[in-house]
Amino acid sequence: MSDTDPSADRLDYVAWADRLRDGELLGQECAECGHTTAAPKAACVRCGSRTLAAVTLPTDGIVHSETTIGVPPEGFDGEYQVAVVRLGDAKVLGRIDGAVDIGDRVSFADVLVADDHPAPVFEPV
Amino acid sequence: MARATIVGAGMTNFGVHERPLPDLFADAAFDAFDDAGVASPEIEALYVGNAMGGMTENDTHLAPTLASHIGCPGVPAQRFEDACATSATAFKHAVEAVESGRHDVVLAGGVERCTPETGLDTAAMTRVFVSAAHRQYEQPAGLTFPGVFALLTKRHMHEYGTTEEHLAEVAVKNHFNGTLNPRAHFGRETSVEKVLDSPIVADPFHLMDCCPFSDGASGIVVASEAAAESFDHPVDVAGVGHATDVVPLADKTDLPATQAARDAASQAYGQANTTADAIDFAEIHDCFTGAEVMATEALGLFEDGAGGPAAAAGRTALDGEVPVNPSGGLKAKGHPIGATGTAQLVELTEQLRGEAGERQLDDPERAVAHNLGGDAATTVVTVMEARQ
Repeated sequence: MSDTDPSADRLDYVAWADRLRDGELLGQECAECGHTTAAPKAACVRCGSRTLAAVTLPTDGIVHSETTIGVPPEGFDGEYQVAVVRLGDAKVLGRIDGAVDIGDRVSFADVLVADDHPAPVFEPV
Repeated sequence: MARATIVGAGMTNFGVHERPLPDLFADAAFDAFDDAGVASPEIEALYVGNAMGGMTENDTHLAPTLASHIGCPGVPAQRFEDACATSATAFKHAVEAVESGRHDVVLAGGVERCTPETGLDTAAMTRVFVSAAHRQYEQPAGLTFPGVFALLTKRHMHEYGTTEEHLAEVAVKNHFNGTLNPRAHFGRETSVEKVLDSPIVADPFHLMDCCPFSDGASGIVVASEAAAESFDHPVDVAGVGHATDVVPLADKTDLPATQAARDAASQAYGQANTTADAIDFAEIHDCFTGAEVMATEALGLFEDGAGGPAAAAGRTALDGEVPVNPSGGLKAKGHPIGATGTAQLVELTEQLRGEAGERQLDDPERAVAHNLGGDAATTVVTVMEARQ
């Protein structure tokens, strides 16, 4: 066994969520293959490397896909729009404040907390 | 040479059931046993799918409970959970068990209740369903399962020009097919206008683009090729492909590609030594109309982007060049989550035997089933062939 915690330097969910609550949207970049994600994991989803660095994602992006939820789950009040937003080399799922179509430019504007879990909120620019 | 054979197939009506999971499962299992001509003590193992019983009915550790209920106590029994692909993955393991020689005759199946018979209303069940989306990265934004497939479908519409009318035509076709299936949840026709006039669940999906919440069970008796000789009506399992894709969906390279379906189909066609061109009909996981369009392309039945126009032109109708969802699909037959995968195989078995009644296709020889789970991240594709 290693005498150091192998996950000590990894951007895990708790750290990602804490930073998001503070208004900073972090991602993860693989040192081996360069893959970038907005959903930090324990290993690179493309090449399996565990050498992953936390990176600050761009705050401006493009709507990749979107839908307006008309029938929400328990704990949410409808209706509202969610979108997959492209931020540089990564894509992230977030809530939209306003109304957007695919291809529209949006900016990271706020954080929504649902059941103690944060989600990024974007607004049109 | 087949990987395995299906020697018995059975299912309950899909719809609303007061009966609890063990009684529902027994109805499907005994229907399959009677079809095969086997008795409970001849079943050597049980592979059962149930996706959400722990959340919906406070009911877990179901495999030995169900084995005991159907007169198969003591056999190795296991429960599978892979969202909506639950019973297809159970079936895959049953195929591998008889193919390897571990067992000769086993039961694969699934059972689920999703209607308010569970005591849960629409908002509560919508929350249960979205448990199959990423807990940390997707659920907090308020995503729903119709929303997951809406995000995939909207991108398909953007890239290929697929329209809401194309999607509605899928619902119209599957509702018509459902009128010919006495076990279907919905037995009434609909129209493009009615679909487009129904309320929005997650745009572009109207209520009538979405499959219903259903209760039901299905079961398949799986036998090795050698053991099949002693049964009356075996149908061959020529290939079973199983692939997964990246979760969460924002990390997928190409949203409308549903890559796991492409990978699973490639495996299944390869094992069967066949191609999409040789498929006579398909049962496809049409949880939402857009899912059927994307799946017909991922399975290679149509070129990318051609799935919507193909459905609208009748190419996937019962009398089309490649009928899709002759059973009515999830849209009309219903979708009791953990029972759906093996229910698709019930339809393949009956059609390939020529026993599908009013909706019987013209002497099909080879068919494909496509069962997906989650945000299309699990997909099982099965190729079956009539015995010559």
